[in-house]
Amino acid sequence: MASFAYGADPTLTGIDFTVLPGQAVALIGPNGSGKSTLLKGVLGLITRTSGTIEVLGQWPAPAGYIGYVPQTDQLDPHFPISLEQVVMMGRYRSLGWWRMPTKADRRAVAEALETVSLGDRAKTRFGELSGGQQQRGLLARAVASAPRLLLLDEPFNGLDQVNRDALIETVKRLKKQGVAVLVSTHDLDLARAVCECVLLLNGAQVAFGPRDAVLTLANVQQAFGSVGVEMDEHTIVVPGHGGH
Amino acid sequence: MGVFTPLITAFDLPFMARALLVLVVLSLVAGLVGVLVNLRGLEFISDGLTHAVFPGVAIGFVWGGRDGLFVGAMVAALIAAVVLTVIVKRAVTSDAAIAIVFTAMFSVGIIVVSRETDYVGQLDALLFGRLLTVGPAEVNQTVVVCLIALVMVGFTLKEQVFLAFDHEGAAAAGYRPLLLDIVLNVAIALVVVAASSAVGNLLVLAVLIVPGAVARLVTNRLWLLFPVASGFAALAAWVGLTLGYEASVNGGVDLPSGATVVLVLVAGYVLALVVRLALERIGGPRRPGRTVPVEH
Repeated sequence: MASFAYGADPTLTGIDFTVLPGQAVALIGPNGSGKSTLLKGVLGLITRTSGTIEVLGQWPAPAGYIGYVPQTDQLDPHFPISLEQVVMMGRYRSLGWWRMPTKADRRAVAEALETVSLGDRAKTRFGELSGGQQQRGLLARAVASAPRLLLLDEPFNGLDQVNRDALIETVKRLKKQGVAVLVSTHDLDLARAVCECVLLLNGAQVAFGPRDAVLTLANVQQAFGSVGVEMDEHTIVVPGHGGH
Repeated sequence: MGVFTPLITAFDLPFMARALLVLVVLSLVAGLVGVLVNLRGLEFISDGLTHAVFPGVAIGFVWGGRDGLFVGAMVAALIAAVVLTVIVKRAVTSDAAIAIVFTAMFSVGIIVVSRETDYVGQLDALLFGRLLTVGPAEVNQTVVVCLIALVMVGFTLKEQVFLAFDHEGAAAAGYRPLLLDIVLNVAIALVVVAASSAVGNLLVLAVLIVPGAVARLVTNRLWLLFPVASGFAALAAWVGLTLGYEASVNGGVDLPSGATVVLVLVAGYVLALVVRLALERIGGPRRPGRTVPVEH
């Protein structure tokens, strides 16, 4: 059981779960429930106050084996950088200091862009892309780094159906290649489409296990802290918060 | 031909040639570092560093004259850069922390210099530089300090850009942001040291910040930013030195060379800004800097 903290007090406790190669785990919980905290804990970006954690059997996680797709709204839209250059960042780790990208790196970048169907936008400035395209671009960056574990932070936020489908297809393909996936979301469609397991959070772990066993109305109500919570095929409806 | 002749002939004089050499070397490195300062939004930290290096410059000067100046400044720069990086990491209100620590250090520098007999003259030189009296030994020192900064930034350039664009993404990829921050801040401090004896402590900030800002106005292509900033700074140094020389020798107006160079830098920035705004007006929304979401 692990706990994580930004400062002295743990913001997320009682975490106990496993994600296997070729599998995906959905992190589901209300805003502020610790979804991003858990991802940052796995990345080693915040303090672990108790418990143990292993990534690929090691800790700290071996550098370069984790692909991370942050939320695009954390990035400066005016940054002078092309999509292609963003994706190339996925290759930096294997390139090493000082070295310039080789032909093999350029090929890997082109392939990663094709994987997310953005091959024709390679030269476009990143900030000029739509939110969905930026999200796919960051996924391409993770793909280009050939990760063994992929972390996605709310990848569906603000995406239209075309971008959602493209994202789901890419994640499915990566899973087939044996990549383990950890994705924070409040979108049940994404959970149902790609995730075998679900980890329900609310400042602490509420439940973890196979998707359908965990996503019961009682569990979801416990996580979202309201008896008024409803759930259908696609969404969790929290009273007063609109459709989540 | 006539108007442009001084751009060459002014530098027949050894002291002018030395001043130009110092400024060109400084420009190349300051351009590179300056683009990173711009991309990271480190302008305020850079300002703090110029203040923090000042007591080092002053103490070095009082103890060892102009040769000691570099040693003192280097020591102060290294300490300041590392302390600053850690403060910013820890402090909740980093702006206040920087302002308090470094204005205090600046005061220490002034008190140190005030113990000297020729207080006003020395302070004047430290604050405003003495570009035209740079000696051969100082040229070497400047080149060495600039080279160290160049290697530090050059070695980590693509990682610095990664960190500037996506701090968490870079950390997630296994880079240590604190280490990269220290490397960049030390490089900034070294540029401050190199520039202090040339253009003076008060004007260093312009050399660090204006070229990067101009490059951002001129291009949106990432790897073009660096040569544009360096090239612009070198050009401004050349034109500024010539202007100062011409005004003093043929115009009868004694222009301080460091300040003249900085004014040319700023004039270049204003020009780039006006051209950019004009192009935006003519060219519509596809000019650099605007965002146009395109769905497909």
